[in-house]
Amino acid sequence: MADPVFVALAVVTIGSAVAALELRSLVYGSIALMGALGGIAGLFLLLDATFVALFQLAVYVGSIAVLILFTVMLVKRELIFKKIEDKRRKFAGVALMLVTMVALGAIFIDSGIKDITTDEPPVDFREIGSDFVTYYWPALILMGLILAGSVTGALVLARREDIEENGQRTS
Amino acid sequence: MSVIAPDFRLSSFIRSIFDNAFWALLLANLAGIPAIMMVLFYIEMPVIDGELLTPFLAFSWLADPSRTLPIVHAFMATDLFRVVAFPGFGFAALIAAATIFVERKMLAKLQLRVGPFYCGKIEGILQLMGDGLKLISKEIIIPAKADKPIFWVAPVIFVATAAAFVALIPVAPGWVVADVDLGLIAVFAVIGFFPIITILSAWSANSKFPFIGGIRALFQMVSFEIPLILSLLGVVILTGTLNLSEIAASQSSFPWIVFLPIGAIVFFTTMLAELERIPFDLPEAESEIVAGWLTEFSGMMYGLVQLGTYLKLYAFAALFVVLFLGGWHGPMVVPPFPEEILLDGIVMGPVTAKIPGLPLFTQEMINGTFWFVLKTVGVIFFILLPRGVFPRIRIDMLLNLGWSKLIGLAFVNIFIALGLLYAGVLGPGGMLPQ
Repeated sequence: MADPVFVALAVVTIGSAVAALELRSLVYGSIALMGALGGIAGLFLLLDATFVALFQLAVYVGSIAVLILFTVMLVKRELIFKKIEDKRRKFAGVALMLVTMVALGAIFIDSGIKDITTDEPPVDFREIGSDFVTYYWPALILMGLILAGSVTGALVLARREDIEENGQRTS
Repeated sequence: MSVIAPDFRLSSFIRSIFDNAFWALLLANLAGIPAIMMVLFYIEMPVIDGELLTPFLAFSWLADPSRTLPIVHAFMATDLFRVVAFPGFGFAALIAAATIFVERKMLAKLQLRVGPFYCGKIEGILQLMGDGLKLISKEIIIPAKADKPIFWVAPVIFVATAAAFVALIPVAPGWVVADVDLGLIAVFAVIGFFPIITILSAWSANSKFPFIGGIRALFQMVSFEIPLILSLLGVVILTGTLNLSEIAASQSSFPWIVFLPIGAIVFFTTMLAELERIPFDLPEAESEIVAGWLTEFSGMMYGLVQLGTYLKLYAFAALFVVLFLGGWHGPMVVPPFPEEILLDGIVMGPVTAKIPGLPLFTQEMINGTFWFVLKTVGVIFFILLPRGVFPRIRIDMLLNLGWSKLIGLAFVNIFIALGLLYAGVLGPGGMLPQ
């Protein structure tokens, strides 16, 4: 018998993920997305990874979902989405998803991950942090450069040249 | 001339009182006491004087003065007490209520007005109670085309999130609702929920003014979260922990504001923006967009949002105290509990009352709470003060301040902390004691 908390979290996560895809209202869809991300944070909590769980809440629910919500509210959806009601596409999508999930699940179960048992305590996040700045520092620097590059690129893309600076921005 | 109750008769009044008393006693005996007994069976009962407290004993023991205090003691050790009463919701709500009154009165004095005056005999001290009664008795109006589920739920979730924030704050040594090992990260996670609730409630009202206010609030909160998080990293670097209780305990010799004043200033400024206080109160700018994202709330829904706002204000002020002002540390001003009362009891003429379990709180706890409340009230005063002094700034000035100035200052603060750490002044193995 599985842990009831785990089952509840899994149901919440998968249910709100399906709702995020299927709901007609975009705002409710993004709320459901928040539910799915929050459910994943709960799964991390169950795995004794409090650090990851709290960052999942702070970054994904607190920032990414807010950005999605913001975009949904600022953009008129008629302009970006054409409604195509197609039953065959829908069933094909569901079937494709099922096939992928079953295949992935079979690979996971076959890999012997179910037989691993360990009594070791969870890895402290301080160790992960010190590993990052000592042994894995090139990866850290690379990640930082990629993020900085994408932020700079976004700034360049978002710059509008059709607005004239007429001296109002004195701040 | 009209009278309030033209058919008033004293005899019927007295009879109605007896009637009510009869029904109350009957219902208490038939339903109330059995219900309490049933609930008590499911609660883990404490051991008092070496004897397990059972539901049957509970009532008679509560009436016994020599056993009341131990029962109260046992109750105070429970989580329920912590969540509902002392370091949690009740305590914070009391401070929040006091803040609302003090804010109105203080602003009035700053602007040479009188402020609340008529409600209650002394300086309008009952104004808050009057306002609360008014809000409760008002009708809750929902806009016709509002998105009802979100509109109803948003104020409740707002208060719940603020209460979750309050639960992370340590008030005195060991007195905290949730002593999370990653307390500061948990604080960041909780703060991240406020913009979501704001924008959702603003959108669900389906009205122009709330939506503009909500968009502004979202801009402001999301962009000021970054300097907020960065400004607190200096403290984390120096203490080497994210646990708020440990951070407060590490400041027994000196508060961190001595070494990290820039971080404290940046945090204070971002705090004003997150709380939508006056130089940054664009989301609620009453002269431009009515009341911002609160426009469509009415009755007790508005009351709930106000309660949540002031709980949040208390929690931010308390976080400032914990991180920069030394938390509960301060000179011992509370006298020790007189020992002769413990040993001999209280002598009143011929009667000697010996009361077991008397030091209800330890000396450290009372002293810590005293200093904590004193510092928090001071910080709240400085949060309220700009409202009487500053004008509101434009949104582009606000964003410019957040993105270019405060983030830069926060990095300066981090480098100061790193310098202190690597120069061997502070931190583990540093010259100065912690």
